[in-house]
Amino acid sequence: MFTQYRRASKKRIFLFLVFFISLAFLIQACSGIPDTPTTPSAGMERQGVLRVAMQPIVQTDPAFISSDPEVIVANSIYDYLVDVTPQNTIAPRLAREWTVSEDGKTYVFTLVENATFHDGTLFKAEDVVWTFNRLRDPDVDSPTKDLYSNIENIEASDKFEVTFTLREPNPFFLYDISDNHALILKAESSEPGSDFIGTGPFKMVSYSPEDRLVVEANDDYFVADRPGLEKVEFIFFNDQTAQTEALRSGQVDLVMLLSADLFRTLEDEPGLIPLQVATNSFDVVRLRSDRPPGDDPRLMQALRLATDRQAIYDLVLQGYGAVGRDTPIGPMYSQYYSEDAQLPERDIPAARQLLANAGYPDGIDLELYTPDTGNRPNLAVVLKDQWAEAGINVDVIVEPESVYYGDDGWLTVDLGITGWGSRPYPQFYLNTMLTCDAIWNESHFCDSEFDQLASLAGTTMNEQERVDAYNHIQELLIERGPIMVPYFFSQLGAISDKFADFQMKPFPGRSDLSTVRLADQ
Amino acid sequence: MTTVPKTTNNARGVAPSLWRRLSLLLRKLYARPISAIGTTITLLFILAAILGPLIAPYGENEIIASEARQPPSPVHWFGTDNLGRDVFSRVILGAREILVLAGVGTLLAVVFGTIFGLLAGYSGGWLDEGIMRTFDSLLALPALLLALLLLGTVGQSQYSVLIVIVIVYIPIVARVVRSVVLAVKPQGFVEAARLTGESQPRILFREIMPFVYPTLSVESAVRFSYAIFLIGSLGFLRVGVQPPSPNWGLMVKEARPFASLVPWALFFPAAAISLVVIGVNLMADGLKRIMS
Amino acid sequence: MTLTRSEKRTILEINELTVAYQHAGEWLEAVRDVSLCIHGGETYGLVGESGSGKTTLALAVLRYLGKQGSIRNGEIHLGDLDLLALDDGELRQVWGSSISLVPQNPQSSLNPSLRVGDQLVETLRHQRSLSQQDAQTQALKWLEKVRLPDPGLVAERYPHQISGGMQQRVMIAMALCTEPKLLILDEPTTNLDVTTQVVILDLIGELIQGQETGVLYVTHNLAVVTQVCDRVAVLYASELVEDASTQDLFSKPLHPYTQGLIESIPRLGDTKGSIQLRAIAGQIPPIGDVPSGCVFRTRCPIAIDVCETRPPLYPAGDSRISRCHRWHEIDQMEVSARQPTRSRIAEHISPNGEQPQTLKVNDISVHFPLQRSLSDLVRRQPAKVVRAVNEVNFNVKPGKTLGLVGESGSGKTTIARTIMGLESKTSGSIELLDLPLPDKLSNRDLDTLRLLQMVSQNPEEALNPYLTIGDSLRRPLMRLSGLSKTQADSRVVELLQTVLLPPTYADRLPGQLSGGELQRVAIARAFAANPELLVLDEPVSSLDVSVQASILNLVNELQYEHENSLLFISHDLAIVAYLADLIAVIYLGSLMEISAPGDLLQPPHHPYTEALLSSIPLADPSRRGTPIHLEGDIPHPVDLPSGCPFHSRCPRLLGEICTTQIPPWQIDAESGKQIFCHIPLQELSTFQEHIVFGETSYPR
Repeated sequence: MFTQYRRASKKRIFLFLVFFISLAFLIQACSGIPDTPTTPSAGMERQGVLRVAMQPIVQTDPAFISSDPEVIVANSIYDYLVDVTPQNTIAPRLAREWTVSEDGKTYVFTLVENATFHDGTLFKAEDVVWTFNRLRDPDVDSPTKDLYSNIENIEASDKFEVTFTLREPNPFFLYDISDNHALILKAESSEPGSDFIGTGPFKMVSYSPEDRLVVEANDDYFVADRPGLEKVEFIFFNDQTAQTEALRSGQVDLVMLLSADLFRTLEDEPGLIPLQVATNSFDVVRLRSDRPPGDDPRLMQALRLATDRQAIYDLVLQGYGAVGRDTPIGPMYSQYYSEDAQLPERDIPAARQLLANAGYPDGIDLELYTPDTGNRPNLAVVLKDQWAEAGINVDVIVEPESVYYGDDGWLTVDLGITGWGSRPYPQFYLNTMLTCDAIWNESHFCDSEFDQLASLAGTTMNEQERVDAYNHIQELLIERGPIMVPYFFSQLGAISDKFADFQMKPFPGRSDLSTVRLADQ
Repeated sequence: MTTVPKTTNNARGVAPSLWRRLSLLLRKLYARPISAIGTTITLLFILAAILGPLIAPYGENEIIASEARQPPSPVHWFGTDNLGRDVFSRVILGAREILVLAGVGTLLAVVFGTIFGLLAGYSGGWLDEGIMRTFDSLLALPALLLALLLLGTVGQSQYSVLIVIVIVYIPIVARVVRSVVLAVKPQGFVEAARLTGESQPRILFREIMPFVYPTLSVESAVRFSYAIFLIGSLGFLRVGVQPPSPNWGLMVKEARPFASLVPWALFFPAAAISLVVIGVNLMADGLKRIMS
Repeated sequence: MTLTRSEKRTILEINELTVAYQHAGEWLEAVRDVSLCIHGGETYGLVGESGSGKTTLALAVLRYLGKQGSIRNGEIHLGDLDLLALDDGELRQVWGSSISLVPQNPQSSLNPSLRVGDQLVETLRHQRSLSQQDAQTQALKWLEKVRLPDPGLVAERYPHQISGGMQQRVMIAMALCTEPKLLILDEPTTNLDVTTQVVILDLIGELIQGQETGVLYVTHNLAVVTQVCDRVAVLYASELVEDASTQDLFSKPLHPYTQGLIESIPRLGDTKGSIQLRAIAGQIPPIGDVPSGCVFRTRCPIAIDVCETRPPLYPAGDSRISRCHRWHEIDQMEVSARQPTRSRIAEHISPNGEQPQTLKVNDISVHFPLQRSLSDLVRRQPAKVVRAVNEVNFNVKPGKTLGLVGESGSGKTTIARTIMGLESKTSGSIELLDLPLPDKLSNRDLDTLRLLQMVSQNPEEALNPYLTIGDSLRRPLMRLSGLSKTQADSRVVELLQTVLLPPTYADRLPGQLSGGELQRVAIARAFAANPELLVLDEPVSSLDVSVQASILNLVNELQYEHENSLLFISHDLAIVAYLADLIAVIYLGSLMEISAPGDLLQPPHHPYTEALLSSIPLADPSRRGTPIHLEGDIPHPVDLPSGCPFHSRCPRLLGEICTTQIPPWQIDAESGKQIFCHIPLQELSTFQEHIVFGETSYPR
């Protein structure tokens, strides 16, 4: 009889329904993964979580970090021996005082005695020795190995005292000791890149490369009343516009390294404090001088003559910075910067003539490579327009940073735009960018007179000699250098007004997050 | 069944010339308001693409620093962007970029897709299985994702974008053509042709293709709109295109950072993409109505 | 005592009904001024070809015309109820309870996702407000009434799990279970096999007998009408042209159209050697474009001036009407309304000595393996095989026609396609003019292809709608006959003339031609390259009755002219018997009988042939015999019965021998018939002696 079957199938349907509905509820319940409970703060009462938006980081080993995001992360977990202030002066950090010998070759640092690493170990001189030996170890091959090649000897002269002996005097040695990479690691660390054991104001909590890196306050930090925050979250964004949107919507609290356009949009935004600091950061347009077409100096001169730096400054930077003069020595270095050398005015016919002389009567086609961040893409497009008048036809090739700064990138291409961060002293650029054996000599420039001047400026203890040498260098570069520096840009950023006491440094990655605290209501 | 009379128009029954067919098609497209709007929009954009440099008042990278960031005015109809470039000119020149690339890509995809579809549908067996399974795996990926993957391997020039469009859209065209072939193949006249000893290529092109054309033309129009959107999306990701190209997607991307200061630089290229895609789709809709 | 017609209750009365459809802004009349009257217990046949308006009329009665159709004029009364005055709600109450419909295609009328029993229960509960329990009981009872085997099991089945015949029986049950006043049947047996059809027809007759239900039976098949109906109304081009009792209509039609219809169908027993088929000249006018005056005027052999005025419905005797001005002259036999004919009576051509057989089919078997399901693969079961054709043997002599008769699933189309190379045979061989015929089409060269051509069932599909008639005809000429384009062009004109089509048709597209015209073109194309053998697979089955005759005549003529052989395939035994020189009957992939048409009606017959013969409705109502009912359904070729394929349904089953052993071929000494049966021919003859088929009720 078909009635029995009917009842059976109705029951079946009902059972299925019950099953599916319960399944749905189960899935719903499980998907909500509970948050990790916050560690209760001990000791000083700390408040606030600062969320910083930045590009994703690649390197976590202090010996190899380079980008601002990488530096700021490391700077919160580790400490330097001495630090550089926003005013470009040297301040004590793990070293509380120091002495320099008469001949400038011996430095003795007295260390603090109450600093501990995050695993509880006491910080001692041997940690400093181990760190710097590692940094100058050719097997480790950190970019600093040349920087510290001048060090003859490092020793722990006492439990809390370190002595550096140099071969040659180095007027900038204290700055060198405070190089971005020179964060103090625990001696004999096996995995310096991933241990995250430092003495810094913050301790590592979690690191998810796709998402964010979280640090929390170090209760036992050796500096009183620091840090002021409970936690810091470094949240990764690939896109600068997205970072700005996140700041505007309250998803993050701090954004740095902004382009002029993005900064303009945030200037009048309620609830935000705009951050602006004059720096020596610049974008360099560099032409490889060791092979055609750049090996003919007339080409570089033609490019120079075809460029209108003021127009670029007005259009691209919109006033946030200073016009450049094709040398890496900018107005921030007030004592070294000089406007004596004559920078040629824009002269299209002359440029065309030079090109014709160099063998390009009908103009020349070039490829201009640039990373996709900051003002650089805009700069490329403006250059393309300006140079077109002189018959220099440029194909702009914008690449992601990881590609431009990777293999076959900025150190290989003929014509490129590279961004350089601000440094406390100009010698750094000369030694790393322009001397014959400079480690980051992207334009493959090699000029013996330049090398001599650079060497002199970098070693003499005579300030006047140095000033003269730098003047001479600026003149040389304008005459036959492989680079164009159209502008120096201020570092721009913005922070939510919920926070106070944040000071952005000219190299934003070196900004000190331990001073930040919640603003008083 | 009730016999509604067969349409006995066209008493001559002779195939009309191409021009007459096109003008007849246009007339039919304009018969309905919606497809008329779509056709007009599409034709306007095609016109812009063809005449581009003639009607654009400024160059694609003509930087006039003093007039940067100005709102729409009689001098600059769509305003200027952050670098002082005329947005209207860039939008017009961008039409050429996008439409030509999309057009050629669609054409090639349609040609190759048709060939594959004909072969697969008519041969059946392993050839059919092989072709369709391969295409299924391509179809499983969203177009943009597939495009990015391919561009990662092929490199990022305009030609590679063209190749990518062709590869991305061949499977769908093949599938559509194949289904028409499968529907027509068992019919009596195809068998009659086989019994007359017609070769397979002749059967495919003489007997079966006429059935494919209506569906194919609609599909082509739809693919065209998808291709336009794909190029725009790729442009937005700055893939396969470099500044200062007036690719609308790239224009949108470049305008994003200062969208609150110079909104027209973002609005007009975005509107262009939407408008042309909508227009082509409405026209395709009209085509579909006409064909069935 | 039977009540006279006027004393019975009137169930349905239609008065001067006019129904029109809207097309492209115009109103086209599908039914014009039709009046009829159905009484209780009466079965009324509504006969017409396509375009006659019969379906529209039935839909109008149901008030189910759709948005395009509208009743322009007239009245419809169901008993006392004015159907035209009802609103939607009232209509819904009428549907199913007072009027029921049995539609043409049961497959699409049954809900595929409900079990059969449930659907019946649903109807009962809705219409008769029964409880679930009662409804179920009733449902089972009705399933029994329509003679379904194992009603309980059928009730549990889904519609796609039962055969077409069973589905139709379910539809009949659903229609009758509500005990309606009026039952409308719209071509209920058109999609069924002839042997199933006879069962259904009998069933309907049985169920209605003694009831007060009025029945409206819509069909194009005149012969079916004689089997089932008491009265007949003939519709032509939207008008009622004749209305009479079945007996009167067939014994003496009083309208030239009716006469033409009756004469254009070959009757069982008619052969091409004995009579001429008279096709009705011209074509059915398209809807909305009928001639002025008498609608049949343009095709009528006896049309005169007065026919330019529209004839009224003349009373033509005792409850008869005719819409012909000259009905009285026809009645008095002063004038003959016979259509002229071009065909001639075929002469018997004696065999011409030692000529090679045109076609020799030797032990052909065609088996299709079915795809194995995953569970089959896992369980290592061999693939099931559809044995469509099993060891079939026959020859076609030069210049002769072999007729192949079978129902659906018999394998006749498979054989045709195998010969043509469109299917591959599994075993056996085929010889064409004593040369082996390659199996696959691709292996045959152009010369071979030229020798074999085919005309298929569906003329609408036979020609590519995008190519002109001329294009389609040129292809074989240029490809197979090797003519140049100019030569082909002139030949095309000749071909069109041969098939009685004007040469201007060469530039027309197929969409502009009627079904009959298309089939002529298909035939022209097949004959174009002068093949040795022409295979015709159901060439007239999808055509209107009045057109069939002209096509059959055409085929005959062409064969006579070209002297080629024909393989004529059909399910219609009467047509095959008319046209063929030799008849082969096929059932479930095997031949059952081979006989000359003249001997067809004489015993002995194979039991299957006997059933076929008896299921053909006779056009003479007075000679309604008792048809043989075959039990059960045609088995599926996958589950082929062992031994004799027919044993599962054979009414003369001998015994175990039939189920286990393959029968022998017995040859009847007298007629030369070959019969595939265990039963000795002598016995068969004795049993079958008294059964008479075929008739010639009308002087030919």
